[in-house]
Amino acid sequence: MKKRYDLIIIGGGVTGCALAWYFSHYDFEIALLEKEMDVCCGVSKANTGIFHSRSYWTPDTLKGELHLRSLSWFPRAKKELDLPVRECGALTVALSAADIGHLREVKARGRCPEAEIMGPIEARKREPNLNKNLKAAYYDPGTVVVSPFQLVCSLAECAALNGVEFHFDQHVRGFDQTSKYIRVLTPENNWEAAFVITAAGLFSSEIARYSRDKISDIRPCRGEYFVLDRDCDGFVNRVLYPAPRERSKGILVCPTPEGNVLAGPNFEPLDRFDSSTTYFGLEEVEKGAHRLTPHIPLHKNIRNFSGLRPTLPDRDFHIFFSNTYPNLLHLVGIESPGLTAAFGIAEYVGEKLHNKGLTLREKNDFRFRKAFPVFREADWKTREALIREDPDWGEIICRCEEVTVAEVKHALRTPPGASTLDGLKRRIRTTAGRCQGSFCLMSIPRLMSEIGNVPYGNMYKEGRKSPLFAGETREECSRSEYAEKGSC
Amino acid sequence: MPKKVLADVVVIGGGPAGMAAALGARESGAKIVFLLERGDELGGILNQCIHAGFGVQRFGEELTGPEYAGIYKDRLASSSIEVMTSTLVCEVNRDGYVKAVNRSGIWEISARSVVMAMGCRERTRDMIRIPGTRPSGVFTAGLVQYMVNVDGLLPGKEAVILGSGDIGLIVARRLELEGVRVNAVVEIRDSLSGLVRNYVQCLLDFNIPMLFSHTVTGIRGEDRVEAVKISKVDNSWRPIKGASQWMECDCLLLSVGLIPENELTQRLGIPICPESGGPYIDEKGTTEIPHIFACGNVSSVFDLVDYVSIISERTGSAAALKNPPAPVSFILECGGGVGLVVPQRIRERGEGDIFVRPATALRDGNIRFQRGERIIYEKPISICRPSEMIRIPSRGIEWPHETGKVKIEIDGEPVQGI
Repeated sequence: MKKRYDLIIIGGGVTGCALAWYFSHYDFEIALLEKEMDVCCGVSKANTGIFHSRSYWTPDTLKGELHLRSLSWFPRAKKELDLPVRECGALTVALSAADIGHLREVKARGRCPEAEIMGPIEARKREPNLNKNLKAAYYDPGTVVVSPFQLVCSLAECAALNGVEFHFDQHVRGFDQTSKYIRVLTPENNWEAAFVITAAGLFSSEIARYSRDKISDIRPCRGEYFVLDRDCDGFVNRVLYPAPRERSKGILVCPTPEGNVLAGPNFEPLDRFDSSTTYFGLEEVEKGAHRLTPHIPLHKNIRNFSGLRPTLPDRDFHIFFSNTYPNLLHLVGIESPGLTAAFGIAEYVGEKLHNKGLTLREKNDFRFRKAFPVFREADWKTREALIREDPDWGEIICRCEEVTVAEVKHALRTPPGASTLDGLKRRIRTTAGRCQGSFCLMSIPRLMSEIGNVPYGNMYKEGRKSPLFAGETREECSRSEYAEKGSC
Repeated sequence: MPKKVLADVVVIGGGPAGMAAALGARESGAKIVFLLERGDELGGILNQCIHAGFGVQRFGEELTGPEYAGIYKDRLASSSIEVMTSTLVCEVNRDGYVKAVNRSGIWEISARSVVMAMGCRERTRDMIRIPGTRPSGVFTAGLVQYMVNVDGLLPGKEAVILGSGDIGLIVARRLELEGVRVNAVVEIRDSLSGLVRNYVQCLLDFNIPMLFSHTVTGIRGEDRVEAVKISKVDNSWRPIKGASQWMECDCLLLSVGLIPENELTQRLGIPICPESGGPYIDEKGTTEIPHIFACGNVSSVFDLVDYVSIISERTGSAAALKNPPAPVSFILECGGGVGLVVPQRIRERGEGDIFVRPATALRDGNIRFQRGERIIYEKPISICRPSEMIRIPSRGIEWPHETGKVKIEIDGEPVQGI
């Protein structure tokens, strides 16, 4: 008998994983299908990681509504996911007199009681590296930065802990329905579920067309970034936004929960999915970052990356049931602030499915995720105790981020575990430090092989087409063998 | 509880510098010497350098990296030095207190002297800002050398190497020997960065093309490297418009420089010399904190391991001594044509060697040391390159009685190509 699910979620980004986590609170059989080898491989892996406060919501849009809804979920999510966050607040900076008007608009829109507009002296007291020509700044204490990697992985882990099945390498090719169950077609499998939700990011329009639903094309909008060395921690202590422009929140400078400094993104509409970084784009980010913080140490860059926002022409989220399969729900155009809105989206989707007849019966044995210790952040007493408990805590394989073998083991073994180099990076920050893997790559392949049972030929950076190695060196042979055969 | 121990000298890093420093300290009378190495064996980068060419200066014979390291490992094994491998130092403080971690727990070693010998790391793609996709197949050359020579794994089937430094050249040959095609070695300068002998033996002998005044300005391939964009550059290393082409390959190896690994040093508040990337040191490796020393590539990237050993033995000896250092007599400064000088401080006249790295390749010129108007050292040089340090014995310099700043200059005709 083929397994039938109550719910199938397509896409393992922040939206898909937030849905999985949300629905795992209820008594359902749930599967999440992802085309890559891990969660957090698309839009969700490359963004600023800001949990925007209400100051930055967009009125009269669905994304604005879900953004606001999401905010009330944040404390609960933080607790259930044991998610590290940096509650740093934000300053929106007016560099010209004309910009001050924008600050007033932001303030009026946000109606945050704790937020205030302050003068340049006060602003620079908080952020001494701000451009000294600033005219005013809007201070909003409610902005929080998270690691997008940690957020998505912790949502997935918590969902898995509560029974959600994660199936990777599942390229959805179409849908079908002959009974009351929708069939999701992938090359190797047919999956069946009473309800199906698609949350396919950049591919969300394409997937919606598999069910013959009409929707505009996703237009990718690229944003490029700099990630600065952790020894720049403290250069900025809050998110610094320029006064808002029309299309995006502008090029900002912000701290990350791990202690890096992030600068970016620019905003470049593309006609293709191309997440390359470019000279032009990085230069634009450089200029933008210099406008806010003229002395930003961009020479301490350890990584450039770019992300694609999956935008629709009206720049809003589109969440709708298929016209072909009534119990198939498409989520299209989930761009910024998708990370912030993820919990609101989940709640909204829950209501939509409930209205379609899905009964939400809460489990009484829902389990919270407990974050695994991070050696880098632990105090010496904790470190001592950890090593006593398991000597693997005493074997540091990544010098820059001080990652231990115990953490590698945990990341490989905790469902849905890491199976790739980037999967490890997103969970425990190996290869994410200043040497970008020059040291830890001396041990990670061995650990993946010994602990994860991954053969060297099947080690990938991220997807199935990104092998780390191209084979093994030639066999050794003795001098006499060589003389005999003329070669080895 | 942390394991607390007392030591005369703690050496951080068990590569060529650290091994020599530990032995130097022991031989000069330090009773308790700890040598801490993060890897699972001593030897550092020598273990992956399976080619010959080491030891001519130090031992008068040509050895492979593991053989060269082996000599020091044997000496350490028969010494009473406490060697701890798979041990990472997390903290050092100004009083000579070292905190390290290994599988047996946390170690707190209180030492009279600390020798920093952490070596260097490779510059990465992002430090030179190569735009493009971020696929699998972009590696630093030294990492590839480790993968191939220690793990027996190949990085790709067709490679492009950026940078004509020695690691890049040696890895190019190694890959060819393993059946990996090297499509080109690309160098942004108009002259070779590595040793000429490596160019001849590694590239010419294997018909590997070398492109001067070119650099990589793009990477293509969503998952795995598919091609790299190679652009001609002008005199200020800016890509020339229209002078670029895509070259197919499945991996890009970067040999674009080494950075002394000084995070621990910097956290101590020891100032770092912008030219060398290491702490300012004197002829014995003393940093600005008298009982904290630095030697080998952590103080400045050297061209020959032999020099590293010679200097580090001396540094180890100095670390063993109890008497405070003499006051600084001279401060060496880089003038025209000089990329870096190490040591930058001279306390005792006529001791040890001074190493000068030329900023560019020059021929038929002179190297000069000047104290004010007075030339205290001058020597003609037929050819010099950034890849080869000029070694000047301190005793050959007419150090004046009057102390102060000494400026070093090199002049000559520019060299292009090889």
